[in-house]
Amino acid sequence: MTVEPGPEHDRLLLCYCTDLTIGQLREACREGRWPLPGKERTGKLCTGCLGDLLFCLERFSGGTADSRPAPTQR
Amino acid sequence: MSSSAALCSATFVDPGYDHIVELVHQRDRVGQRRLESLELDLYEPCGISLGRITVDPRQETLDLAALVAPRAAGVARVMVAFDARYDTRIFPYRPHHYGYLRRRDSPEAPLYYAVNATLGGVPDRLETAMRQNNFETYLFLSRPGGERYALRLGSLARFSTVQAQVITYHGDARAVVPVTLMPHQHAEVELPLERGGERLRRVELKTLFRLASYVVGRRVDSDALVLFDHLFTYFK
Repeated sequence: MTVEPGPEHDRLLLCYCTDLTIGQLREACREGRWPLPGKERTGKLCTGCLGDLLFCLERFSGGTADSRPAPTQR
Repeated sequence: MSSSAALCSATFVDPGYDHIVELVHQRDRVGQRRLESLELDLYEPCGISLGRITVDPRQETLDLAALVAPRAAGVARVMVAFDARYDTRIFPYRPHHYGYLRRRDSPEAPLYYAVNATLGGVPDRLETAMRQNNFETYLFLSRPGGERYALRLGSLARFSTVQAQVITYHGDARAVVPVTLMPHQHAEVELPLERGGERLRRVELKTLFRLASYVVGRRVDSDALVLFDHLFTYFK
């Protein structure tokens, strides 16, 4: 079952490394201000929140190339 | 300026085991350092929540088995997420939780392990992740030990599904097992001891984002855990 990031999740911490909440991301996307200053590396440090970050960016329609994972080489 | 930071670590609890977690491993000249707050979230293998427990961060150790047992009757394996808040002036890097694990009816030696830090704890000043795909690896002893092995994986994602690859190496033979985890789901992937006459030498885990992950080993005859260890992370 897929859970959608609703307003009830806004206080949840999305990125534990950059201290970004779901609500901050939602608002930044709504205002076209993503990535916020100081939050540029969200999803890129421990990487644990990257899936949720991409999921939320898609839902909030505010994704930018900077937030996407870099291509990998094996 | 706020000095508060967050870390979410995760482990797995099996019924029938003593399971103690030292909340903060670090000490200083004055005494034990303390977290600001700690909440535990419990999940069934299918990802269903078994509840949230607020823990007094002044406690030195936590009897995890006693906390989990009444909430998880009949559940074969529970994932426990440790959602900690801490002061970066007290913990310049991040706090470490350590676990003690011992099956009650077994003569096997206790196991000690570092609880897997899954979300957070990597300061922005560190230039660690140049590419986002995570690779973790574990090397096995070449001699038979009377054990069988598995990889335990848990997702701490709230919304997204993850598709992981568990890659085993038996000699030169490489085999890939795909694993899909919905939010808060966890799984145990058996690792064949032998393939084509070759012993298991290495396992790799490849995912888009970091999962809670442990290599576990069980005695073949008694099923008791004799290995509970983290993989080694590297970025390629």
